[in-house]
Amino acid sequence: MKTLKLWKVLLVFLLVLLPAAVFAQISGPIVSTDDLEKNLTNPKVVVLDVRKVEEYRAGHIPGAVNVTYGSWAIKKGDLLNELPPLDDLSEVIGNAGINKDSLVVIVGKTDKVPDQFDMTRVAWTLKYLGVPNVAILSGGQNQWVKEKKPLSQDMVKAKAKPFKASITAKLYVNKAYVMDNLGKATIIDTRAPAFYQAKEKLPFVPKLGRIKGAVNLPVGALYTPEGLYKDKAALAALAEKAAGNDPAKEMILYCDTGKTCTAWALILTDMLGYKNVKVYDGSSMEWLADPAAPSEP
Amino acid sequence: MELLNQDPHFKMGCVLCHKGNAKVIKKEEAHKGVVKRPSDNLRSCVVCHKKITDNYAKSLHYTTAGQRNGVMPRFSAEELKTFDEKVFEKSCRSCHASCGDCHVKGAPVGGISIGLVAKHKFVKKDEGKTCAFCHGGRVYPEYTGDYGGSPDVHYQKGMLCMDCHKKAEFHGDGTAYASKNSVKQRPSCRNCHKPGNEAKLTAQVAHREHDGKVTCYGCHSGAAYRNCNDCHGGHSAANPGMILGKNPRDKKTLTTLRLIPTVRDTFAPAGIKMENFDALPNYWDTPAHNIRKRTDRTRNCDTCHVDRKNFLTKEMLIKNGSKANDDLIFVPKPINR
Repeated sequence: MKTLKLWKVLLVFLLVLLPAAVFAQISGPIVSTDDLEKNLTNPKVVVLDVRKVEEYRAGHIPGAVNVTYGSWAIKKGDLLNELPPLDDLSEVIGNAGINKDSLVVIVGKTDKVPDQFDMTRVAWTLKYLGVPNVAILSGGQNQWVKEKKPLSQDMVKAKAKPFKASITAKLYVNKAYVMDNLGKATIIDTRAPAFYQAKEKLPFVPKLGRIKGAVNLPVGALYTPEGLYKDKAALAALAEKAAGNDPAKEMILYCDTGKTCTAWALILTDMLGYKNVKVYDGSSMEWLADPAAPSEP
Repeated sequence: MELLNQDPHFKMGCVLCHKGNAKVIKKEEAHKGVVKRPSDNLRSCVVCHKKITDNYAKSLHYTTAGQRNGVMPRFSAEELKTFDEKVFEKSCRSCHASCGDCHVKGAPVGGISIGLVAKHKFVKKDEGKTCAFCHGGRVYPEYTGDYGGSPDVHYQKGMLCMDCHKKAEFHGDGTAYASKNSVKQRPSCRNCHKPGNEAKLTAQVAHREHDGKVTCYGCHSGAAYRNCNDCHGGHSAANPGMILGKNPRDKKTLTTLRLIPTVRDTFAPAGIKMENFDALPNYWDTPAHNIRKRTDRTRNCDTCHVDRKNFLTKEMLIKNGSKANDDLIFVPKPINR
């Protein structure tokens, strides 16, 4: 009898606790290559490769499904990186085998600095649509390749899951919302200091300047010289210096197009515990084109 | 050395294709008689790839016959002679793709080349480089969504050029076709999408009502596409957009049109006035490579039937364009509800 009990305990351990122990290390928002490798067979994990189809076909993380970045953010009128229609997005998410219970690890390339932000923009979009557990792979596909981890050229077709977007928090906000909350929310400009200081601008941004009253928390400060995310303590210090330490304070982040600022948005919420972080989707492209939108200097 | 050992093309050394002299050390002597683009002469490849090369010599990629035959009706007999001599052979034909242009080194387009596709490896296919380089002015970025709007739904699902366009379209099938429109084995939406299998009743009804009247592109082209004139024009204003009108090859159907760059004075530098310019329109049916399941037209019938969005109008026509353009204007009627 005693032996039987012992076997039962062992069986419970094997079936429940052991897999949990193996897969337990993965938690957002930044996942290391080693942790992802240990979780490749975790049934809750969906590895989402957002690179171009050509790049994915040339070699990808085994089991990763491909939904190219262009499916997540589109050009609308003059504005870059805008949300596609919600019914299209919901279908894309369901077809990738993602539902609200999935733990999605997003993989992109990091050849150039701006490439990093494909991953964070997709992560923020998933959270916006009601998939709370999202993470990005530290160093992206480039780091995975650099460490000579396994690659596959098989086209992975995910088993589609029903998915209906449910927008519970306004993680993306529009110009009118920002206008209404000037002087109330902390407006955070995540562009490089020269852009914040109105010394430089990208060609597609209509003029030099920033949203009136914005503080600067540049995305370049997120990374080590190797292009990986700095540790939590370093990032917390940067965030506190620019945005304070009140986790309930509303923060609205923006950049040039509404893409790069999602990197800080993800870190502030999922790593540092700020509870009320929003992204202004139109960002400088839209704000600085409107003479009625207060800007400085 | 690894590359040399891996690929049978290299077993006989560089001189097999590039000529020159492998037995001397001095560069100037070794390079005497070197052929930079060996596959410009198909005989370089025919030794081992006879069937493919024989077919290819007649293919549209090689003959570029589509370019000549497409514009030919605009010329008088005398003008055609001048065109063949001064324009076609010297200009259009210079674009013909050799074997190496797809399998080794990108073709020079407007004097620019992407260089070797994968060092000097002979690659079977690499659509993102080879197809995209020549067809990257409009088709490829339209397909990947780089012009704006979402990517083509087929790209989104992981499909590349050769998933729809089969080998025979690239190498030819041994027939010297007059243009791509005469090729029988071309991709067709209905190869995969059979009408009647739609999940939604609204889609079933819409497909049934428009069958034979509107091409798939007419409703499912997802975003503005680039018109040829945007780059090649310089003669008239045209901006990326979507143009819906009658198919000049089949005026019973409505489809997506693209403004092509042949205008009245296109061949004036060669002394060709185009006496029959008005025989052909400036707008031609185009298989826009930006297909979406849902578009503003599939979401709402009023987009076409009330708002007439994107439909070619008299006011939109290019200035001093062909008189044949007027025949492509279509005015959709309101739906009787």
